Amino acid sequence: MRRRTWLLSAAAAGGALLVGWSVLPPRARLGGRELLPADEGEVSLNGWIKIARDGAVRLAMPRSEMGQGVHTALAILVAEELDIPLERVQPVEAGRDAVYGNVAAFVATLPLHPRDERPGHRTHAARAGRWFVAKLARELGVNLTGGSTSVADAWLPLRLAAATARAQLVGAASLRWRYPKEEIVVRDGLLTHPIGYHAHFGVLAAAAATTPPGEVRLKPREGWTLIGRSTPRLDVPAKSDGSAVYGLDVRPVDPPGALLFAAVRMCPMLGGAPQRVVNEDEVLRRAGVLRLVRLPPAAGSTAGVAVVGVTSWHARQAVDALQIEWQPPPAGTADSAAIEAALEQRAREALARDGGHAFHARGDARSAEAEALAAGGRLYEATFRAPYLAHAALEPLNCTAQLRDGRLTLWAPTQVPSATRTAAAHAAGLPEEAVTLHVTLLGGGFGRRLEVDVIPQAVAVAQETGGRPVQLLWSREEDFAHDFYRPAAVAVMRAALGADGRPVAWRVVSAGDAVLPRWLARTMPALATRVDLPDKSTAAGLYDQAYDVPHQRFAHVATESGVPVGMWRSAGHAHNAFFMEAFVDELAQAARQDPVAFRLALLTDDPRHAAVLRLAADKAGWDRPPPPGHALGVALHESFGSIVALVLEVSLGTPPGDGRARVHRAVCAIDCGTVVNPGIVAQQMEGAVVFGLSAALHGRIDIENGVVRQKNFGDYRLLGLADTPPVETHIVPSVAPPTGVGEPGVPPVAPALANALFALTGRRWRELPLRW
Amino acid sequence: MDLLINGRPTPLPDDRIDPAMPLLWVLRDVLQLTGTKYGCGIGACGACTVRLDGEAVRSCVVPLAAVQGRDVRTIESLGSPEAPHPLQRAWVLHQVPQCGYCQSGMLMAAAALLARQPKPSDADIESAITNLCRCGTYPRVRAAIHSAAVAIGVPPRPARPAAPPPAPPPSPPLAPPTPPLSLDGAAPSPARGVAGARAGPASRPE
Repeated sequence: MRRRTWLLSAAAAGGALLVGWSVLPPRARLGGRELLPADEGEVSLNGWIKIARDGAVRLAMPRSEMGQGVHTALAILVAEELDIPLERVQPVEAGRDAVYGNVAAFVATLPLHPRDERPGHRTHAARAGRWFVAKLARELGVNLTGGSTSVADAWLPLRLAAATARAQLVGAASLRWRYPKEEIVVRDGLLTHPIGYHAHFGVLAAAAATTPPGEVRLKPREGWTLIGRSTPRLDVPAKSDGSAVYGLDVRPVDPPGALLFAAVRMCPMLGGAPQRVVNEDEVLRRAGVLRLVRLPPAAGSTAGVAVVGVTSWHARQAVDALQIEWQPPPAGTADSAAIEAALEQRAREALARDGGHAFHARGDARSAEAEALAAGGRLYEATFRAPYLAHAALEPLNCTAQLRDGRLTLWAPTQVPSATRTAAAHAAGLPEEAVTLHVTLLGGGFGRRLEVDVIPQAVAVAQETGGRPVQLLWSREEDFAHDFYRPAAVAVMRAALGADGRPVAWRVVSAGDAVLPRWLARTMPALATRVDLPDKSTAAGLYDQAYDVPHQRFAHVATESGVPVGMWRSAGHAHNAFFMEAFVDELAQAARQDPVAFRLALLTDDPRHAAVLRLAADKAGWDRPPPPGHALGVALHESFGSIVALVLEVSLGTPPGDGRARVHRAVCAIDCGTVVNPGIVAQQMEGAVVFGLSAALHGRIDIENGVVRQKNFGDYRLLGLADTPPVETHIVPSVAPPTGVGEPGVPPVAPALANALFALTGRRWRELPLRW
Repeated sequence: MDLLINGRPTPLPDDRIDPAMPLLWVLRDVLQLTGTKYGCGIGACGACTVRLDGEAVRSCVVPLAAVQGRDVRTIESLGSPEAPHPLQRAWVLHQVPQCGYCQSGMLMAAAALLARQPKPSDADIESAITNLCRCGTYPRVRAAIHSAAVAIGVPPRPARPAAPPPAPPPSPPLAPPTPPLSLDGAAPSPARGVAGARAGPASRPE
């Protein structure tokens, strides 16, 4: 592992290693039949595909469904290549082999600039870095759902797995019917020959398993009948009748009543611990209360206690009744106001001496500034701030565990199955082979379920229940009090405008807690490095944008404040897009130019970005005056390989000045490469607008003396139906490989709102949330 | 203590019952009706919405004592696979759910709204649907409620001379009271919970 760690460090450090490159064969991820166990009547054809007796297809599904539609999207890839109706493809649990790992998610951690990655212009360093990390990721085979990478990752391997299965089925039909393969037709899950032979997949599956596929070709784009169409999702019926099973719906039923329930109470001070439970005996004497279990800190969690009861309510009542003396963390308690002030100071100092880690630099920004000033230009500077945020997935954290006869079974709504298994095995003192994990549906993820803090807690409780399964559930209050928050961040942004108003130099320093190194240490300790690598996750969204300014220096100061921080839907892009796009709007104003025209003038080398921006502006009627009292705000942002432009139509509400901006309309345009299901893209854009508006209008976590002040939805407000505008989504047609969809809609929301508020009020908005 | 859940008298095991226990936990942890979700415990998010004598209520803040002898309806009785409620059809037509966790509550709140106000305006929907959805399905919830209202307003045209309505499917009893088990030595427990699995107690069309 040490060698692998070194390899990752070397690659991530900037790809200075020139080791040669080649396209790794996607067939390396096909996987053998033995990886996908066949149940009664089923035949496995490879690691991804098996055929049921009735000819239906079962697809090994390693990715977690948390609302983003991934089970449907991946099933579409398979149904397309196999020519079977989508509803006849059923996702089943994938095993833990490395072929199910997410390679794209690891490649995406490389701190590359999109300019170095353009098709046909990819630099040697970018190619080497990608090759290196892909090779490593393939070897590690870490299964995770995050970074908007699932479709991009599955795009080749999954279609190839399905096409290989199809070739075997056709080969088997050809042998049985004694007609050439070229004459066999596959349609609607049936193999036919014009002479009158026909069979569904189930009839030929056993023969296909021993038939070599021969030459395997992917269906050409012109032949697609599913990819690119708004096909209904597979999971909607079960999510409309209450039968969909989330983590806290798991009910082991044999014998009836075996399931126990646990509630937790962690030290209210982040990082603190229980010192003494005053009334343990008294609480344990209550009806329906069975055990008290101490929870040591693990995987980044704060220490606490759990109580086991006959229902979640009995457990919760008991844990709330405990009188506990807490001790603060040895390093002292955190205070968000002090942390935010310190961040600003760190960023200012770094800007003054060109400090921080420069994620992107070109030209000589400092000299260009001076020259521009001497030539009659202007200097423009602004400081932007973003607070800590909670994920607030509607399903609170939970995990169900059963430890019996040396085997541990887990049911967990998780984005990280590999890390979950490792954490559980470690907590139970068992080899990973003794752990069986069932990943349930997720009642929202948004990055919170990339953490495994709840797993050792569930194992600790299961060790105390005599072999009975136990469901450990956090209260909403615990969920808010013990999140891995989006880090608070500050950016000091400085631009020199030439006499013509065009920016000639940018110097930007952002500061905020590093996320990726701490997250690796918590969830994949074997991969954590002793030395922190440049943490792209919090810097992304500033240095990697397309604007063509000749002299740039974008640096980031990675801090560590002691507050647990993690990935929050779109990670660094979420706040950095606000800094960047609100600032660009300010520059447009300083240059006395229209915000759309100003941006387009900086995108002369980036036709994709310009096309997305024009599409959103056209559809929103940017050139027409908005209704009286309304204004439009625009933002453009690239993240996770996709480009999104958003126009919001905003008013100050009726009556004006009641403290709430109202958003009347949202118009999105997106270029996310080839679209697998435009209906799901539209859903994600709608959801992103709502998610982004909740944060931009209301989102803020305050920490005082180590305690999070927000307790529940009463003081951590989410946008409701009444405040949600209609959302239009327009997709730019593309033949490029697919890129991210789940996250890229979020970043432009806050800046588009801030820019519309400026148009309404003439005041600049530089701090989130945008309290009017 | 007896309850009337989804039209059926339902006995409750005495050993786990406390009159102060919120209805939500009785449904989920005692009766295994897991379609109704826990989200906040303070009646703020609406994930636990059920109908009580027809009205939408948040079951996480309704004590068991308050529902004695009253008609409790959960998502499990909104429709059936054979005869989905018009709202459930509209939910599929408009592809409403994303993660889906809040949708049981959304549907029960919407069903209560349509029962009281068969042709709701946008304002009616805005004041009735205060449930929270973190995935942001609100625009589709709004559209689907309008669409279901239209579907309910149009009397179905029989394709053939009137046939007798299909008999409701047989209703197995709800989860029976279970014997308390000791903490030591329980038997093996296969579970539901595989991704995408459909399971749940049998339900009855409303």
